[in-house]
Amino acid sequence: MTDTDRGTQRDRNSAFYLFTQQNLPACKPVLTPEWVFMTFLFIGFIFIPVGLVTLRASHSVVEIVERYDIGCVPEPFRINKVSYIQDDSIPKNCSLSFKVPKYMKAPIYIYYQLDNYYQNHRRYVKSRSDKQLLHGQNQHGISSCQPVEVNNDRPIIPCGLIAWSLFNDTFTFIRNRAELKVNRKNIAWKSDREHKFGKNVYPFNFQNGTLIGGGKLNPRIPLSDQEDLIVWMRTSALPSFRKLYGRIEKDLDVDDVVVVHLMNNYNTYSFGGKKKLVLSTTSWLGGKNDFLGLAYVFIGSSSVTIAVVFTLLHLLSHRH
Amino acid sequence: MSGWDNIRSSTRSQQGRSHSLNQREPSRTVTLGRVQPQAPAFRTIYCNDRDANFAHRYRGNSVSTTKYNFFTFLPKGLYEQFRRVANLYFLMVSILSATPYSPVHPVTNVVPLSLVLLVSLIKEAFEDWKRFQNDMAINSTPVDVLQDQRWESIPWKKLQVGDIIRVKQDGFFPADMLLLASTNADGVCYIETANLDGETNLKIRKALERTWDYVTPEKACEFKGEVQCEQPNNSLYTFTGNLVIDNQTLPLSPNQILLRGCSLKNTEFVVGVVIFTGHETKVMMNSMNVPSKRSTLERKLDKLILTLFGTLFTMCLIGAIGSGVFIDRKYYFLGLSKSVEDQFNPNRRFLVVLLTMLTLLTLYSTIIPISLYVSIEMVKFIQSTQFINKDLNMYHAETDTPALARTSNLNEELGQVEYIFSDKTGTLTRNLMEFFKCTIGGEIYGTGMTEIERGVAERKGIKVQEVPTSINSVREKGFNFDDVRLMRGAWRNEPNPDACKEFFRCLAICHTVLPEGDESPEKIKYQAASPDEAALVLAAKHFGFFFYRRTPTMIYVRESHVERMGKIQDVSYEILNVLEFNSTRKRQSVVCRYPDGRLVLYCKGADTVIYERLVGGSDDLKKVTREHLEKFGSAGLRTLCLAYKDLAPDVYESWNEKFIQAKSSLRDRERKLDEVAELIEKDLILIGATAIEDKLQEGVPDCIETLSRAGIKMWVLTGDKMETAINIAYACNLLNNEMKQFIISSETDAIREVEERGDQVEIARFIKEEVKKQLKKCLDEAQQYFHSVSGPKLALIIDGKCLMYALDPSLRIMLLNLSLNCSSVVCCRVSPLQKAQVTSLVKKGARKITLSIGDGANDVSMIQAAHIGVGISGLEGMQAVMASDFAIAQFRFLKDLLLVHGRWSYIRLCKVVTYFFYKNLTFTLTQFWFTFYTGFSGQRFYDDWFQSLYNVIFTALPVIIVGLFDKDVSSSLSKRYPELYKEGIKNMFFKWRVVAIWAFFAVYQSLVFYYFVTVSSSTSQGSSGKMFGLWDVSTMAFTCVVVTVNLRLIMICNSITRWHYISVGGSIVAWFLFIFLYSGIMTPYDRQENIFWVIYVLMSTFYFYITLLLVPVAALLGDFLYLGVQRWFFPYDYQIVQEIHKDEADDSGRTDLLGIDNQLTPDEARSYALSQLPRELSKHTGFAFDSPGYESFFASQLGVYAPQKAWDVARRASMRSKPKPKPNKIN
Repeated sequence: MTDTDRGTQRDRNSAFYLFTQQNLPACKPVLTPEWVFMTFLFIGFIFIPVGLVTLRASHSVVEIVERYDIGCVPEPFRINKVSYIQDDSIPKNCSLSFKVPKYMKAPIYIYYQLDNYYQNHRRYVKSRSDKQLLHGQNQHGISSCQPVEVNNDRPIIPCGLIAWSLFNDTFTFIRNRAELKVNRKNIAWKSDREHKFGKNVYPFNFQNGTLIGGGKLNPRIPLSDQEDLIVWMRTSALPSFRKLYGRIEKDLDVDDVVVVHLMNNYNTYSFGGKKKLVLSTTSWLGGKNDFLGLAYVFIGSSSVTIAVVFTLLHLLSHRH
Repeated sequence: MSGWDNIRSSTRSQQGRSHSLNQREPSRTVTLGRVQPQAPAFRTIYCNDRDANFAHRYRGNSVSTTKYNFFTFLPKGLYEQFRRVANLYFLMVSILSATPYSPVHPVTNVVPLSLVLLVSLIKEAFEDWKRFQNDMAINSTPVDVLQDQRWESIPWKKLQVGDIIRVKQDGFFPADMLLLASTNADGVCYIETANLDGETNLKIRKALERTWDYVTPEKACEFKGEVQCEQPNNSLYTFTGNLVIDNQTLPLSPNQILLRGCSLKNTEFVVGVVIFTGHETKVMMNSMNVPSKRSTLERKLDKLILTLFGTLFTMCLIGAIGSGVFIDRKYYFLGLSKSVEDQFNPNRRFLVVLLTMLTLLTLYSTIIPISLYVSIEMVKFIQSTQFINKDLNMYHAETDTPALARTSNLNEELGQVEYIFSDKTGTLTRNLMEFFKCTIGGEIYGTGMTEIERGVAERKGIKVQEVPTSINSVREKGFNFDDVRLMRGAWRNEPNPDACKEFFRCLAICHTVLPEGDESPEKIKYQAASPDEAALVLAAKHFGFFFYRRTPTMIYVRESHVERMGKIQDVSYEILNVLEFNSTRKRQSVVCRYPDGRLVLYCKGADTVIYERLVGGSDDLKKVTREHLEKFGSAGLRTLCLAYKDLAPDVYESWNEKFIQAKSSLRDRERKLDEVAELIEKDLILIGATAIEDKLQEGVPDCIETLSRAGIKMWVLTGDKMETAINIAYACNLLNNEMKQFIISSETDAIREVEERGDQVEIARFIKEEVKKQLKKCLDEAQQYFHSVSGPKLALIIDGKCLMYALDPSLRIMLLNLSLNCSSVVCCRVSPLQKAQVTSLVKKGARKITLSIGDGANDVSMIQAAHIGVGISGLEGMQAVMASDFAIAQFRFLKDLLLVHGRWSYIRLCKVVTYFFYKNLTFTLTQFWFTFYTGFSGQRFYDDWFQSLYNVIFTALPVIIVGLFDKDVSSSLSKRYPELYKEGIKNMFFKWRVVAIWAFFAVYQSLVFYYFVTVSSSTSQGSSGKMFGLWDVSTMAFTCVVVTVNLRLIMICNSITRWHYISVGGSIVAWFLFIFLYSGIMTPYDRQENIFWVIYVLMSTFYFYITLLLVPVAALLGDFLYLGVQRWFFPYDYQIVQEIHKDEADDSGRTDLLGIDNQLTPDEARSYALSQLPRELSKHTGFAFDSPGYESFFASQLGVYAPQKAWDVARRASMRSKPKPKPNKIN
């Protein structure tokens, strides 16, 4: 082989040569029935165990859900619940009691759940000023807060519909006549607390308007410590959502009777929304949600089924 | 020379298109009773007098071919971009998204749009920059101009009309100029016009005798003349004007004009006067925008986009109506007080619906794949420049010609061709003419047997006897004749030696060939306008009549054995007149004076025209010769009749006066010359006829066979006789005896009878009736065969005259029906225009994809009429190549071009388009489902930047990689199983059904993305018990979309290279990198902190990983199952082939093939590398009977636009070609 021959040989293996001659090394997967079969089987073998583990985690969670929006309206007012809730003169306290079905290990998370509440409505989502939440007094950056940006020509802090409609039902838990302490700290994501809500920003001119939306804020506590607000302002993805209210840091035994005294302040009656109180433990995966586990098991088992059916079809019909 | 003059007739056709201001017919500019101001019909140029010319304000010689300049680039470039509907739509959406109705930040739509525009504009700018640099280089080329009795060197751009300049050997002419003087004797110079028409043979230009002396600067500066000439126009081959010197008017012809773009050869230098400059030169006047062809796939793509617009509108409507229904004051937390803005005002629901429409329009804009067009363009550009142009399988080493994709628009169209229209000469056959046989005085000479004859004989079962060639037979390229009766003076002993002598002299004298090189029989080279002519002169040489020198007035012939055996003498013939060949005349004559004073007119031409002009009597000879002609014709040979006539001096003189008069007339010169020629070309005496063999190209029969197996139907359209055409068709496997042949010919007795009566109206009516009858009969018969399953294949053969009537609107349908049922069709005796008509008949009538392939100027119209035009580059002129979309060197490369490149490109493009459709639909639909859960408010699901970068970053590259590298079966398998090509013809991969399947899975996947993610995130995640918000959920969903969509791409790949992994992996990694940075950084300036820390929150939960495993698998499971079932139970052909060959090593076949077929030696490889450098493609010259004006002639006759891609003329003229091997010098 002469030098030039070797030269051409080298040229011929050069990437550019292979590229222009469309001869790049490639693997050519051909989706033969064996492959299809193997893949489905493989998916089945992976997914069914993962699904079972996930399901188990979900099942290990004890969850108590109590709807209270109707029960907390006294009988005479049930015909017109809206006027009841809007009438400040009527006391709004109410109590619930339930039995703990299973041993619940601390921490037990307390959520309130709202239905048909469009926290993801476009008008609602954009009605806030992140700048103001972080930096406070700012006359200019609050146009996004419409329609709740100023009151009596003075800016509202925190402005916007979201803050204005802050959820304000309160819950106290009593077991065996003793109050269960509810820890309401650290219920918001740390990143929200530290980076989105200012340490030196205090509520101002809040809920002073003619229309009161929801809860009020203590003007002496900086926004970064108003965790209720922070939780509320992380708007939900769907019109039915849960938000963390607090933690009970004591275990609850089976058949413990828990009495909840609550202030039923928040108006969901206008739009027919439900209010629920949720007590739940968590697993490594989170709250009680069978969906993931079921989906895994379903996909895993249907993969196996498909693999079998496919093989049968393949064996029964001979191609070529 | 002949080629140059033949074209005059093209003027008329080009005039109409000319953008110039000049009008030869002033009456045309009178409109609505108002006389428009107009330029004078003639321009006057004062030579060597800048001041006098200054008054006329002629344009300078600087030339600009750029599309844009610094100031117009942005507006003009943007305007071009916004002519695309998708871009315009995005512009509108971007504007809309700046209004309060928009749920998204303008960035969502502006970023992708600007990125797409940026890429497109950069491409435009780059191309224009190259043009600009080219212009600069040209404008600053130096040229010698006469100033103060000296030659001063100035750049081209400073040149002005009327300047006297000097151009040296091998230099380019800087402007159109009038030749005044040359260093050669007799004021002659030689030029090469390769930049204009691709012909590399030298052409002669001759100065007027009056100006011969102005060679030196001293003398030249005394030259004071006035040139009156036509206004600038774009006709390359005409020029009318007069030179006025000292009150003497001398007529000027194209013979004195040197055009910009040509170069001077074999002449030390010439002196000339500039007459047209810069953009007014003929070559620049020819520049115009080329209307670009669009592929069928792209047109179908437009429909898809329209469908998407329809879908978009429906989605918006649904959402908008929903919002009108939803909005209600009861949702007090939305703050819908009395003064709420219109969009949310429950009292004005109709307005709410309308405004929400706008909102949703901006929100769902991603359904239109904005980057689709730009991606397709990139893919196609690389496909054509890197793959097609560089494919070694399509590289012809002998002529050093690689394939050339002249447009990148039509790559995928190559994969769907159903009809090929092919020229015969030069395409199926080599344009290599060899003198093969002749008949002289009623005797056939030449012992050879053509391939066709052999084929015919074999079909008839006759055993072919190899005739042993005589030992001392001469063989040379262009001369393949063997007959001892004629060679070496043996003709003297034949029965009619005088006829032989006239025959040979006619061959040696009657032509326009230029000898080149040494004046010895071995070394001389003949430069001819057509290979036929060269072959004839070459034959004369071998017969002992060696033409060795030509001057403008003389022809020198070294004659052997004339007076007695063995005597050699040089004889000079004075050429008095040359009556040139053109397509109407179909003949060429020369009047010459023997040294002894004898005046003879020699004429050669088509048998029909010669026979019309023969003197009466000697009917036997005519009859015998005609029989011989038919015999030659059926053997596939090309024939020419030769005749002569002795002239009496007084008759000649009186005729010559008329001739000179005609020649100097300014108007209608061509017509007058033809009329005058008619006066003398009569009463000719027939000598005999020549027969030239036209050889088949290499690999043609095999290629045609392969293509027909690929389901491609082949039509041959040729100007040849029916017999020749049929025989060629047999030789190329197009016809065989198993086929049922329908022959519709005008050569029937009935038609001939009517023709003899000579009533044109009656002839037309009769032939039409006849054609109708024939068509009907054939169609009936064809239908019978068509209904029976195992009927024979059908073939139609029709001649030009019948075709003319069959193309009549009333019969067209019948013709179409008949021909579509035939597997091959041969049209003979057709004009270029008919070729185009037949092509468009199939293209428009049958709506099939057509490809025309041809090599000569007569194929130009056909090439442009078809969906795809392919030119054969290599032997003939450049006309066909310049009009074509693809140029290949050999017909057989069509196999690679269609079956490999076309098929791949088609499949790839289909994948790119459907994938784009899928990924945008999927993405947008998740957004759509979300709308239902937001009270139809149009809240966005994704962050603005996610949405804007989805198309341009996270899913952009992999699909381009697929467009480049995907390969279902290797190229050798593509050629081995041509049937695979049928999938392209049936458009299997871009049917609505295919789109619907993609759409179905897009809907399925989007549902999976949306519901799996939202439902699973409805409870707390992680052990901290904290809840996710909207942006956590959407980021999760988006991650799933990006991962899935990219994985889905892998699933459509048939071959996965490293680049696939890199691009797919890269895209997913790019998303994560982006989100890590984007959600990790919070600037104090304006940004909504929705996304802040989201990904870290997500990734701190198990939920993230479990969902990320579940959702893509769940989404892709359906696709995977579909692919498996489809492949196994309803496989495509290619999938079967894949499985048959799946165990073979990757592409080993192809390397082997390369090894056998196309193993390049190092020298060849080097020459291939050289061939990649910019250069001219053509090597040889045009063919006399297809000379470059022919096409436009036909077109102008019928008032049809027959363009040459003049854009190329200008392009190439302004390009500096590499110096190439020079032709031997004329001594």
